[in-house]
Amino acid sequence: MTDTADPLSSGGDTRLAVASGPLVGPVLRRVVGMLAARADLPLDRLDDAVLVADVVAARAAAYAPETVQVHLHPGERTLWLRVGPLDVGGAEALLSETAPDVGSIIRKLADEVHVDAEGSSGEYLRVCVAYDG
Amino acid sequence: MARDCDIRLTLPASAENVVLVRHVLGALAEALRMPPEAVSDIKLAVTEACTNVVRHAYAGVGGGSLDVIAEPEPDCLTVVVSDHGCGLEPITAGDGGGLGLPLIAALSDRLEIESGPHRGSRLRMFFASAADRFQPA
Repeated sequence: MTDTADPLSSGGDTRLAVASGPLVGPVLRRVVGMLAARADLPLDRLDDAVLVADVVAARAAAYAPETVQVHLHPGERTLWLRVGPLDVGGAEALLSETAPDVGSIIRKLADEVHVDAEGSSGEYLRVCVAYDG
Repeated sequence: MARDCDIRLTLPASAENVVLVRHVLGALAEALRMPPEAVSDIKLAVTEACTNVVRHAYAGVGGGSLDVIAEPEPDCLTVVVSDHGCGLEPITAGDGGGLGLPLIAALSDRLEIESGPHRGSRLRMFFASAADRFQPA
């Protein structure tokens, strides 16, 4: 008995929304880890995907004051994450999270990174972690 | 999206996603520092609820979504498992089912069920916090 139309009537995506706060990290890293495993990513790339999730969990709340939303799409040896909506500047803030001698953590770990601005609804960060070996 | 719950997970109603929900709820319960016995009960109850959705909600339709909401409160964790399928139907003898809902009711501190033909179903499970649940006699 649900209030709205079926949000996933087609496709195999997973949508996660977590109230900004301390639960984002434990929940998001578990979802990402499981979907990365399902996408048949090798262990090192699975770890990379979880590290990306950790960066999102640590920084996204500042740009999504109510709820951190992540749309996940596992494919064949790929995992796409779409984070948002974020306040303007949020996607770049996530990308600017750096580590010594590494630079942008997400840019270093991801195979593709896109920032999508969608008018008044805010902006989205799309990240792909893949394995082509 | 306005905040309407603490955690919401929407995903295809497939068997492999039952495992995902189980792991996520387990991680949540552990993050909330619930005792291992409570974590086990939550995981088993949620697994049963999600399995019901996968097995029965979209029979003959070809698939649909599974919606899981978790709402941690100081004195309890509420978990809602819902679908957009055919609604709960009376169990008939010999179909191999019928134990799921009693088991969920036994594992949770309170269970509320809403369902209607072609309106889907919603199971709301309440799990009392550790202090309430495991207070020594």
